[in-house]
Amino acid sequence: MTETDTNLIEGLRQQSPKAQQQMLDRYGRDVFAQVIRLVSVTENAEEVYQDVFIKVFKHINRYDAEKSSLKTWVSRIAYNEAISFLRKKSAPMVYFEDYGDRAEALSDTEVDETFGHANQETVQLIRAALKYLPPEERAVITMFYYEEMSLKDIAYVTESLPSTVASKLSRTRKKLCRIIKMLQS
Amino acid sequence: MNEDKLKALLQQDMNLRDAIRQEEAERPQMPADLNARLMQRVAQEKKQKRTRMVWPWIAAACVAGIMVVFLTPPKQTIEEKEIVAKVEKKEEKKQESKPEAPLKVEPKVTPAAPAKRPQQQRKPVAPTTAPKQLIAQEIAPIEAGNKQVTVSDEPTAKSHELTASTKTKMLTERDIPITRPENYKYTPEEIALMKRQANEAYLKWVELELEIAKHSQEQTAQKD
Repeated sequence: MTETDTNLIEGLRQQSPKAQQQMLDRYGRDVFAQVIRLVSVTENAEEVYQDVFIKVFKHINRYDAEKSSLKTWVSRIAYNEAISFLRKKSAPMVYFEDYGDRAEALSDTEVDETFGHANQETVQLIRAALKYLPPEERAVITMFYYEEMSLKDIAYVTESLPSTVASKLSRTRKKLCRIIKMLQS
Repeated sequence: MNEDKLKALLQQDMNLRDAIRQEEAERPQMPADLNARLMQRVAQEKKQKRTRMVWPWIAAACVAGIMVVFLTPPKQTIEEKEIVAKVEKKEEKKQESKPEAPLKVEPKVTPAAPAKRPQQQRKPVAPTTAPKQLIAQEIAPIEAGNKQVTVSDEPTAKSHELTASTKTKMLTERDIPITRPENYKYTPEEIALMKRQANEAYLKWVELELEIAKHSQEQTAQKD
């Protein structure tokens, strides 16, 4: 942990408004992006964002630097807040579910070909397919491909094991491929 | 799937990465005033926390005050105002009256007024004795004293001693017979009297009710 992080945490523990402002400036944008990824309505995302930081300021004493970085800890709180908001307040949404395990039947070569070769048309198809994924899966795939977080950190954020995250990523890839095939057909 | 293979995938899945990047780029940006609003909310919650810390103490103090007012035993108040009268009998007055005119007690004068003073100066008797007996005991020596005065026109040595011994004494409510606890109870005679009166009152009430009924019957008969 850097010295600035230590000072920031110390300031937050003393409920210093300066430290709180510094925290918002440093991690605010990332947290908002993470929240709006899960909670797509802006007003709801703002509400969740505020709840996240109020929780962070209130429970800063629970932060353990040995378990994760400050950013990962904040991400975990944001993820949990957004998921619990979706469960409690959001209207129920219908997402793609692979009941027949047809996605699992797809070969690795087929999946690699879909995502591997640079093609604008496929990119658009993937973007359309991403909308059919449940928010949890979309969050995991974004954490891995966009934020480039390690499996360990993703596991910490989602409160699961790295091996579970790895299998979830593999399954989601295949699921996306299956959705693309459905959209193409 | 192990981590190395996944890292390879991260580099390999170009289309997927591009798609996610484009998606992220198109997401709405964070409002500029969101952090300011959040800081306001934090400040408000701090204020609320302060009031929360104070109000239970205020409530507890109010409850304690009410309990003190209502649950304090009345004995304390009585004890505070226990002194109800101050009886002072100065020797000088008696000494002055001695040479001028010897004490003469007229037969018409009621013994109650002069008798009360020496009665009140006595110490309170134990509460187990009956009040009527107490009063009798207290009145007896007073009457005897009065008789002494009437018999001998000149003041005797005993009367001098009595006057000398009468010093300033504070009277309390406990010295007044009516406040003694044994007087709160009714005697069997009083209870019997009350029962008799209640029976009489009941009989009178029944008679009255009968009269009213008769009267109303008469009135209805007249109307018919």
